[in-house]
Amino acid sequence: MKTVSSLLDDHWYERYKKISKLNIRSSIYDVTDRCNLRCKGCFFFSSGEHERASEENDVSKWHTFVEKEMDRGVNLAILIGGEPTLCLDRIEAFYKRLPTFCATNGLIKVPRDRFPDMMVGLSLWGDEADEKALRGKDTFKITSANYAGDPHAYYLYTITPKQLGKTGKIIQKIKDIDLKVHMQLLSNDEGIDGFSWKPEELVDVRAEMDAMLDAYPETVISSKYYHKVITTGQMLDRKFGWMECPSVTDPIDKRDPRPKRLTNFIRWASDLETMHRCCTSETRDCSTCKDGAAHMSWVMVNKRAHIKTTEDLQNWIEVYEMFAKLYQFIPW
Amino acid sequence: MNTDINQTITRIAEIIINELKLEDVTPDTFDADLDLVDEVGVDSMDLATIALVLRDEYGIRIDEDDYPKLTTIRIIAEYINNKLTSGD
Repeated sequence: MKTVSSLLDDHWYERYKKISKLNIRSSIYDVTDRCNLRCKGCFFFSSGEHERASEENDVSKWHTFVEKEMDRGVNLAILIGGEPTLCLDRIEAFYKRLPTFCATNGLIKVPRDRFPDMMVGLSLWGDEADEKALRGKDTFKITSANYAGDPHAYYLYTITPKQLGKTGKIIQKIKDIDLKVHMQLLSNDEGIDGFSWKPEELVDVRAEMDAMLDAYPETVISSKYYHKVITTGQMLDRKFGWMECPSVTDPIDKRDPRPKRLTNFIRWASDLETMHRCCTSETRDCSTCKDGAAHMSWVMVNKRAHIKTTEDLQNWIEVYEMFAKLYQFIPW
Repeated sequence: MNTDINQTITRIAEIIINELKLEDVTPDTFDADLDLVDEVGVDSMDLATIALVLRDEYGIRIDEDDYPKLTTIRIIAEYINNKLTSGD
């Protein structure tokens, strides 16, 4: 029988030991249904999820809710929206109690005197031209001014087909302001012309993501195995899709057989009662979903499947390390 | 007592091998002190599956809160024997 220690040398075994006991249990929370941008391709608005529930406006109920979430074993709160920074009091209900990650467009600066070490992920959809085309404004100009040098912020760079050949320039700009970047791919939920991935483009973007990781190892938080999995939708001999996704809301997960999945994961709507199907929208075609968190979680929950060869297990470790760094369970 | 615990260990090993479809190991060669989580990659879903089989086999209930403690086959065997002895 293959065991972890039989496959790893001392160096890799030490890396493994640093993550093997983390036992991260995340859930995702819509903090608000509102946003100060309306990006083309945003799954939240394109799927109508912003109209599924009425926001809970009583902040005390958010505090009570977070306590209950902790009782459920959640030890990582991932805040999305809408735009969470429109409701700092709600964010605070999480931050005071839990490791908290806030995904934001970065136009509103999280006050660091109030949230000194909260992890902030700044969405970025490309260069100036694509940002304007998809989001109506070049957010980088504002977010870079708000967060330059912030040790608890990084860019979530959503790469689109239009970005092929351009990622280096953007990552250099991020390096220049002393921030990190994690790369993911647009799923193009709204079918914006020219922004859907063609098979040959996915091959090219994988090579480009690999090249960026090689060229900017201190800036890019990623792994080549993650690039492979997200661009091919393939992990080991399995194909990503509804029957494999790990990020389905637990209480409404009726799949049979149940795949390996995130323990107790729920994506909550902003009324604190409604549960969304999964970490993205339920209108999305799972077979073409490119959600980065879902794909890295897919790898992470399938640890035993990777205890077959040294290379497989090292790949698993690198993906888990990437996730742990992005949420600061281990340092950069 | 040793005979009892050894029988339990062998049976648990058999259950784990069958339920998790482990290869290249038999109940006799399975190291009872091997860390199932760290070394074999057993996760909480696996433990839940194993716990259901053990419940049916031994008529005991394994609390989910106890999963983190059940890191080796020997520890699981002792846990079961204690439950059986105390009548929990």
